[in-house]
Amino acid sequence: MVFGTHRALDSLDVEVQPGVTGLVGANGAGKTTFMSIVLGLRAATEGSVTVLGKDPRRDGAELRSLVGFGAERNVFPDDMPASDFVKHLTEVRGVPRSEAKSRSSDALWLVGLGEERFRPLGTMSTGQRQRVKLAQAIAADPSLILLDEPTDGLDPAQRDEILALIRQVSTEFGIDIMLSSHLLEEVERVCDSVVAIDAGRLIAQGRLVDLVGDLSGVSVELVDGSDGLVAASAVVAALRSLGMDVEFDGERPRFEVDGPGPERVVDAVRDVVASEGAQLRRIEPRRRRLEDLFEAAT
Amino acid sequence: MSGDAQILDRGYRRFDGERSGVAGAVRSVSWHTTRGMLGLGRKFRFKIVPLLIILIGFLPAIGFAAFVIIASTFAGADLFADEIAPEYWELAPQSIPSIVLFIALMAPDAIVRDRRDGMVSLYLTTPLSRWSYIFSKFIAVVGVLAIVVLVPTLLFLIALTFASAGPDGFVDWIVVFIRTVGSGLAACLVYAAVSMAASSLTDRRSFATAIVILTFFGTLTTVGIMIDVGDASTTWQMLNPVVMPLELIARMFGGSGEFPEVGTANVYLANAGWLAASGGLLWWRYKDAGV
Repeated sequence: MVFGTHRALDSLDVEVQPGVTGLVGANGAGKTTFMSIVLGLRAATEGSVTVLGKDPRRDGAELRSLVGFGAERNVFPDDMPASDFVKHLTEVRGVPRSEAKSRSSDALWLVGLGEERFRPLGTMSTGQRQRVKLAQAIAADPSLILLDEPTDGLDPAQRDEILALIRQVSTEFGIDIMLSSHLLEEVERVCDSVVAIDAGRLIAQGRLVDLVGDLSGVSVELVDGSDGLVAASAVVAALRSLGMDVEFDGERPRFEVDGPGPERVVDAVRDVVASEGAQLRRIEPRRRRLEDLFEAAT
Repeated sequence: MSGDAQILDRGYRRFDGERSGVAGAVRSVSWHTTRGMLGLGRKFRFKIVPLLIILIGFLPAIGFAAFVIIASTFAGADLFADEIAPEYWELAPQSIPSIVLFIALMAPDAIVRDRRDGMVSLYLTTPLSRWSYIFSKFIAVVGVLAIVVLVPTLLFLIALTFASAGPDGFVDWIVVFIRTVGSGLAACLVYAAVSMAASSLTDRRSFATAIVILTFFGTLTTVGIMIDVGDASTTWQMLNPVVMPLELIARMFGGSGEFPEVGTANVYLANAGWLAASGGLLWWRYKDAGV
């Protein structure tokens, strides 16, 4: 996908699996362009796209009636009650008026806004507005939902709630979801599959269990402070003298330790930290994370 | 209450019915926009301006209609029809104050709100395309504008008919009716297109109103000065989007209009030009719309 001289997406060959798929990448990576192409709002400069068995450019209108969309921006008429807003968009997506009314009400109950459904959107909190976005996306019974940064602007508790709802929509209602996010941690929590892009290029794609998971060894983080790095250096040196394999960048009091069996590694870390007088903040099994994929690719 | 009572939880229901597609989406957005412009389903204060504008638009027709009935009762229908009654095409210019108020105050609401709220991008994720979205808005604006441009003339026609001062015979009546509807709609198309195009230049309603007023009255004043002070040709009225649609109504009725110096072909050309220019501006403003 090329805009003038800027190549927004480059040689992207992607096959999206059923379930919840995370479209991850930094801001400007090309996630929104990808969604535009999926919706048939932009044409790929070359190549082909098939969504739900349809060509988005040729069958865009038919396709979009089967797709729910939650925008990143707050796209709300502030003076409109949530129920009217969801009902209207459900009608626009092709559901008859009488059916749209009951479905919009059901959708708002399902996202936990049943009691609040007659409130004007402008009076709702950010978390409630994100729920409304989800409600309008599911109300017309789509086969696929695209959510652009669905947790944007939410506090951790609200984010947990929205992610749980997204998971519920997929597992209980059987609707496939693609959510874009630059927050890798939340994608790891809720997604079955991942499409990772950076600067328009595909970094990785596939099922999350195949891309991330437990590794041998442990991750260790010491309490940061004026002598945190000094203590970390001493601990690392002591562990190496015990024959442990340690990865330490010398910039933060964090390091990865691998050795002969997880229990012996944990015991060794515990003993060395105690003998060096360091303060342990966290010790956990070493995992390969999405962040590692990005770091390896960039 | 029975001990077996429980809250009905319908859960998530699939929808297996037929979806109404682009036509349904256009219909839904048009109706939603119409309701928004007229303040329907909103608090009473949102209804005040539309009601006033419509009332102003109907006053001349109501006045003439009342006069028809009184005059035909006392002076005879024939006298009224021949000597007193205005031509059908002369009714629309009487509604100019309400037309101007409408295109400056109500029509911008049709698209500015969506641009400001970001609803355009959300609509484009539905079966609507950029063009069908604009078309749905256009239908809404034309429909509401027809209330002040077209309906007063229809009311006048009906009043004349009941006072036995209308067209002679059924065929003539149908011809006048078709001309009234056709010419009124044609004028509405031009007014709606120019108003929407001018409004699309901003995301703020007050600015949109200012731009619409500047567009209509700027050209009206400029052309007026050119002709009255600069002795320019009356043909320059073709650049005037206020009078050209009214002139179009007159010509479609076979009348000479206010500016007989401007040929009928030029009147059609001018209105087509305003439509094309407005369409082009709207295309430019919406060509990159999307998520």
